[in-house]
Amino acid sequence: MALTRSERAPLVTDAIPPSLRRRGANPRQVLAICLIGAIMVAFLASRDTPGWAERLGDSWLDHRLRSIAGGWDGAMETLRLTDPHEALRAAMGRALDWQWGGDNR
Amino acid sequence: MQTQFQRLDGMRRAVAAGRLPGVSPPDRTARPPFAPATSDMLFPTLDFLLFFLVVAAALATLDRHFAWKKAILVAASYFFYAQWDWRFCFLLAGSTTISYAAGLLIGGSEDPRRRRLILTIGVALHLGILGIFKYLDFLVLSANQLARMLGLMHELPFFEVLLPVGISFFTFHGISYITDVYRGDVTVCRAPLDMALYMSFFPQLVAGPIVRAAYFLPQLARPSAEPIPVAAALMLILGGMIKKVIIANYLATGLVDPVFAAPDTYGGADLLLATYAYAVQIYCDFSAYTDIAIAVAALCGFRFPRNFNQPYRAQRLREFWQRWHISLSTWLRDYLYKPLGGNRHGRLNTYRNLMITMLLGGIWHGAAWKFVMWGALHGGGLAFERMCQPLLGQRSTSRFGKIIAWLIVFHFVCFAWIFFRAEDFTVACVFIAGFAHGWREPVQQAQPAMVALIVIGLAGQFLPPSSFERVGLALQRVPYWGLGAATGLILAAINALGPDGLAPFIYFRF
Repeated sequence: MALTRSERAPLVTDAIPPSLRRRGANPRQVLAICLIGAIMVAFLASRDTPGWAERLGDSWLDHRLRSIAGGWDGAMETLRLTDPHEALRAAMGRALDWQWGGDNR
Repeated sequence: MQTQFQRLDGMRRAVAAGRLPGVSPPDRTARPPFAPATSDMLFPTLDFLLFFLVVAAALATLDRHFAWKKAILVAASYFFYAQWDWRFCFLLAGSTTISYAAGLLIGGSEDPRRRRLILTIGVALHLGILGIFKYLDFLVLSANQLARMLGLMHELPFFEVLLPVGISFFTFHGISYITDVYRGDVTVCRAPLDMALYMSFFPQLVAGPIVRAAYFLPQLARPSAEPIPVAAALMLILGGMIKKVIIANYLATGLVDPVFAAPDTYGGADLLLATYAYAVQIYCDFSAYTDIAIAVAALCGFRFPRNFNQPYRAQRLREFWQRWHISLSTWLRDYLYKPLGGNRHGRLNTYRNLMITMLLGGIWHGAAWKFVMWGALHGGGLAFERMCQPLLGQRSTSRFGKIIAWLIVFHFVCFAWIFFRAEDFTVACVFIAGFAHGWREPVQQAQPAMVALIVIGLAGQFLPPSSFERVGLALQRVPYWGLGAATGLILAAINALGPDGLAPFIYFRF
């Protein structure tokens, strides 16, 4: 496909500046990064998985997923990996409760 | 003509205000819940994470097969869109077919009259689809109101058309492609797969940014040789998640929604802070979506244009529009303002063109008089600014002058947002009238956490423009496993800090 004049001239600015495009990853490395990130989320954000599973449908698979999600959250609780999640939620709750004049609800 | 989301969103606001019979207002000490969205396929959800893992796995497997990679992305995009309503996939396919066929016919004809006819038909078809789904019931309502004013008894029936998510965005894609082919600004796309991907690519499908054919189609011509900028993409995802999940969501439920639902029950301080809060909320919400869209596209190997550039630091209204929703403002400039004549035919015509452009830009956001007013304010503001250009001169160089200019522009933009956010035109007027009294009433909603979120949201507008690049360059030295682990850790923290439930992005309804 031959480029026209307008195609050669940039119409708009790239969102990611060129200096940040010089180094990077290939698609396999991207997949690895996403998997590592997802595993971290699975370990540290397990508190939300039962709620997520509740929103699924009503099929046999959905019921099975709900059971797995509940079991997974229980296992993370046993390992105390849900503690940071609970601590952050409590801290956010306190921040939201704070009122002018120091009167906390 | 509401979407299910709009109905639920309205219900959520009504519940917040205690206006629904049999429903108690929420306990303000509790974490604000969100009504369920029509789809769970929103960026900040586990569903999207799982969806993207599958897409990333497919792209990694098909790295050397570019055509297959594009086919997988089209299939993924239609799957993504079907999560809202599978029937709308036919609409998207129809819009793609119109654009593809019109491009081929225009490109294959040498006759200027025939080319112009095809362009007109193509654009009219796109606008017709948009008009039916987005504006039909608004026109019926307006016609009925006019009939009542004229004393006519007959009323037209409403069609209750369901608004497809993102219809404005893919319509704009189609119109810009046909017009660019007609103008000779873009080569005719002869590959149906490329056209399908251009129209449906899932990161931008439902809320932009509006990506021009001349910018995106060349990226589909051959595989990119440059590496995937992972550090920048992850920064955009994390920044977007913080803006959406923490800042925008809490401001919405804790301050903006309750105050805008019943403005007559709040004092001046709550109204003022709710106005600032909405300015921060809509920026954080919309820029979060486009930041994540840009990042997801980058992780798939594609470039997207910049859509926001610290808009609230603008010292002129014109500058605001060069920084806010850049892909829409440049689209309106190139396909509406310039064809109307732009600034080429004298001052009065320039003011008229600015007004028409911004009015249509307002109506693009929705079929309601409040959006007409929002557009009229911006059009009038831009025209007035241009009229005063000889008096204002160049940008002020003194610190005091810059602060005054910034204050005027920021507050003008905030004032216009009141119309944009209010339930309707009448509520907006009640809201504005509320500023005239109640300044001694105690603050009800604008508690310290809300004020802190407003300050944090606005502070981000004044970070040095190079800060993103500097942090990105530093992160490029971190090993990939470290980037993945840190991203997962921060995402888990954002998830813990954010409110329960799902909150759809504001721009999904446009």
